[in-house]
Amino acid sequence: MGETRQSPNWVLSSLMLAATVAWLTLDAVSVAPNRIVPGTPYTALEVIGGWPALLMAVPMLAVVVLAWRPQRKGLTLSLGVVMALLALLPLWLSATTAVLVDPEMPQARVGIGSALWLLLFLLLLVLIELRTRLGMSRALGWLLLVPMLLGWWLALSLWLEPLALLREYHARSDQFASAVQQHLALVGAAVGASLVVASLLVLAMRRHTGVRRVGFGVLNFLQTIPSLALFGLLLAPLAWLGARVDWLAALGVSGIGWAPAFLALLGYSLLPMVRNIFVALEEVAPAVIESARGMGMARRQVFLQVRLPLALPVVLEGVRITTVQAIGLTAVAALIGAGGLGTFIFQGLGQAAMDMVLLGALPIIGLALIADALLGALSERLRPGGAA
Amino acid sequence: MIELFDVTKRFGDETAVDDITLRVEKGELCALVGTSGCGKSTTLRMINRLIEHDGGEIHLDGQPVRSFDEVALRRRIGYVIQSTGLFPHWTVARNIGLVPRLLKWPKGKVRDRVEELMQLLGLPVAEFADKYPRQLSGGQAQRVGVARALAADPDILLMDEPFGALDPITRATLQGEMRELQARLHKTVVFVTHDMDEALALADKLVVMHQGRIVQQGTPIDLLREPANPFVESLLGGMDRGLKEAALIQVSEHMLPLGPRLLASERIPYGASLSQALSVMLWHRVDRLTVVDEEDIPIGELSLRRLLGAKVP
Amino acid sequence: MRSASLMATQGPALQRWLAPIVWLSLLLLLTLGMGQLEWLFRLLEPDLRQVIYRRADFLTLLGQHVLVVGIASLLAVVVGVSAAVAVTREFGRDFLPLVSQLASIGQTFPPVAVLALAVPALGFGTLPIIVALLLYGLLPIVRNTLAGIDSVDPQVHEAARAMGMTPWQVLRQVELPLAAPFILAGIRTSVTINIATAALGTTVGASNLGDPIISGIVNGNTAYIVQGAVLIGLLALAVDSLFERLQRRA
Repeated sequence: MGETRQSPNWVLSSLMLAATVAWLTLDAVSVAPNRIVPGTPYTALEVIGGWPALLMAVPMLAVVVLAWRPQRKGLTLSLGVVMALLALLPLWLSATTAVLVDPEMPQARVGIGSALWLLLFLLLLVLIELRTRLGMSRALGWLLLVPMLLGWWLALSLWLEPLALLREYHARSDQFASAVQQHLALVGAAVGASLVVASLLVLAMRRHTGVRRVGFGVLNFLQTIPSLALFGLLLAPLAWLGARVDWLAALGVSGIGWAPAFLALLGYSLLPMVRNIFVALEEVAPAVIESARGMGMARRQVFLQVRLPLALPVVLEGVRITTVQAIGLTAVAALIGAGGLGTFIFQGLGQAAMDMVLLGALPIIGLALIADALLGALSERLRPGGAA
Repeated sequence: MIELFDVTKRFGDETAVDDITLRVEKGELCALVGTSGCGKSTTLRMINRLIEHDGGEIHLDGQPVRSFDEVALRRRIGYVIQSTGLFPHWTVARNIGLVPRLLKWPKGKVRDRVEELMQLLGLPVAEFADKYPRQLSGGQAQRVGVARALAADPDILLMDEPFGALDPITRATLQGEMRELQARLHKTVVFVTHDMDEALALADKLVVMHQGRIVQQGTPIDLLREPANPFVESLLGGMDRGLKEAALIQVSEHMLPLGPRLLASERIPYGASLSQALSVMLWHRVDRLTVVDEEDIPIGELSLRRLLGAKVP
Repeated sequence: MRSASLMATQGPALQRWLAPIVWLSLLLLLTLGMGQLEWLFRLLEPDLRQVIYRRADFLTLLGQHVLVVGIASLLAVVVGVSAAVAVTREFGRDFLPLVSQLASIGQTFPPVAVLALAVPALGFGTLPIIVALLLYGLLPIVRNTLAGIDSVDPQVHEAARAMGMTPWQVLRQVELPLAAPFILAGIRTSVTINIATAALGTTVGASNLGDPIISGIVNGNTAYIVQGAVLIGLLALAVDSLFERLQRRA
């Protein structure tokens, strides 16, 4: 019931209070003279005289106050404040870096501390909350991130040279580029192949109920097997094949490398893909099909002009699920030598180099989020009648 | 006895119920009638505090409902809704026994009460006790809903469009059963419906609501004879009003003792309504009917002239 | 009469539990008897000196795997269901939109990445794995519990209140039982993901059934890899078929 909200928005105030406390008490940055030595942690109050930290806390508390009587105007103002804070954060980090890092020490690196991570996380949550309360669309929600991204881009390209993550990246920027390429290539190949295979499979399933039962049974079974185990199980037969069949070996098929990764990814991708395509074609309202037939459309016309357009958004939903899943699984595939961003994660874990782990994990999360957002928006657009 | 004094309810800027004053006597069946969104359901829900009222007072037997604990209050008021709201994961017997169990009756007593109610509502225990709601027809489910509401023998029964989702035949049957049930149990009932015929058939007292206000209240006959405004008149069915009124009057009220004349060839039971008598006359093109009792023995006669006389106040 | 009907239900019961029992026995059999299969793995890697993983015995590895997943999943169920219940009550409803969005956005995060991020935050060892599994495992449970509670017919909910059930009774006797199939499905998803992710725990310093696989990859010993992979696969299948049974009952 449309009661006007006058009670405080506890979500906003508690998130913001938590953010303020984290910001003022936890370690914001750490500075190490080189890659080996553990860094010295600093809280936000301990650097550049502390006053910028206090200054940043003021707008945070202002949002807490605004949340007490949440009206549209106040919420919009809060949104502006939060976006400004998110954009200011990299600038504060740049200033801090400039003060703390001795330019004489080219190896010195600045690590981002828990206060900064938490602040980033909580502010993003606040952003989501405000977006929901203000009834903004998803696309607009992504636009809200633009100032923050601009701020980081500016800081990273101009002033944040000593940031550990960036140093890690500069040390292996070529490797990074090719890892991203490999990652995307594997994901693209697996998703593309699964789309083709799944379509053929669904066509067969629609003809024969036997194929349908067995097909879903096998795919469900595959989906249950943990990724590492499936990669491992594919390793032995592929190594055998690679050793015995010359043209396969020439293609680069061997126990480790892209072959087992691709096959496993394909296997995992099939279930969501088949399920969505099947549902998409099967669940077009029978009345629609019947009336299309009744108007004298031929079978092929019914399929091309009625079933397919109605099914497309659901199929795309399958592509979205599959892509996001494949981005994550490809990271695991690094363990069997398939390359990709997972390489950094596992190398970093092996060397206890946390910044290298981040260099692998953060872009993977980024890729997954971007793929999710893009494909989600596309399937939403293709839905007849637009976004629901 | 239920009394509402100047009761008001607002949702945001919208006033759903506007300054309503109403009194339902003990044992009376009061029907709230109106188009959808007129505030009748909100009014009903304020009585058992599913919705809290903003202004005015609601009293139960002279005590404000706010003075009761809301949970305890609801346990002594029966409640029936259109979709039944039966718990899909519970059997019929368990559904009916809900409130007695909440009231911590001993197990045996709950079981006896459930069986008693199932018999009362024409649900054979052996057949229905262990069925689940989804296995029931609409009419059966609604009977279970009524049984559940009556389980702890509440004095007050609130019913929100209880027969609204049923087909016309089942609906008429359940209305008939409801009348009989009420004649036996004498509950204080508030009954919400948008169907004027249902309200006319069941109610002792009719309350017409429109845009959150009471437009008119009175007995069904009062309303039919003197609708307060064109809105009530249209709700009562305009040109059908005569027949509707006749439907509320029993033949026995207007029959004459048997005279010296020959018995009329067509017969009508004494419990039928005047509208049914009129229909029989029209069908057979006669102006006289013989009134008979249950054993088909003539006990009086009814003439068209007399029937027309009955219409004149 | 009573015993006869008991027999009648027991026969099919055994049949219905057949799949989990078969997977579970296979798992235990292989865990305990892997050493007996040396000749088989010898075929796979004829040139290597050692073909059976011996750094730790398989039962211990299995136990550690189950323990980590069990603790994380149990905590995830408790925290996830309580969180979902809390945000659907009157006092927590403010948090509902955020929590439900968070649960769906969070599922976009690859589990490996979450596991990897747990290390910088918490260090190496078993604790970061449990925390990572717990956090990631929460999402499907929260999401499904919310969907389950949301699926309860509002009319049923209103009827429950109107009959004079206390909020606690409505939750215990109406909402949770009706949401149970959803919650169970969420737990199944969560546990399946956790078994798979836990196997990667080896790379962050915990030891479990992932060990033979990683060790096999590092040392180029396919036999090790197969041993680990088969056991993890069986564990996943056993647990999944167990859930499938439970879901069919619910």
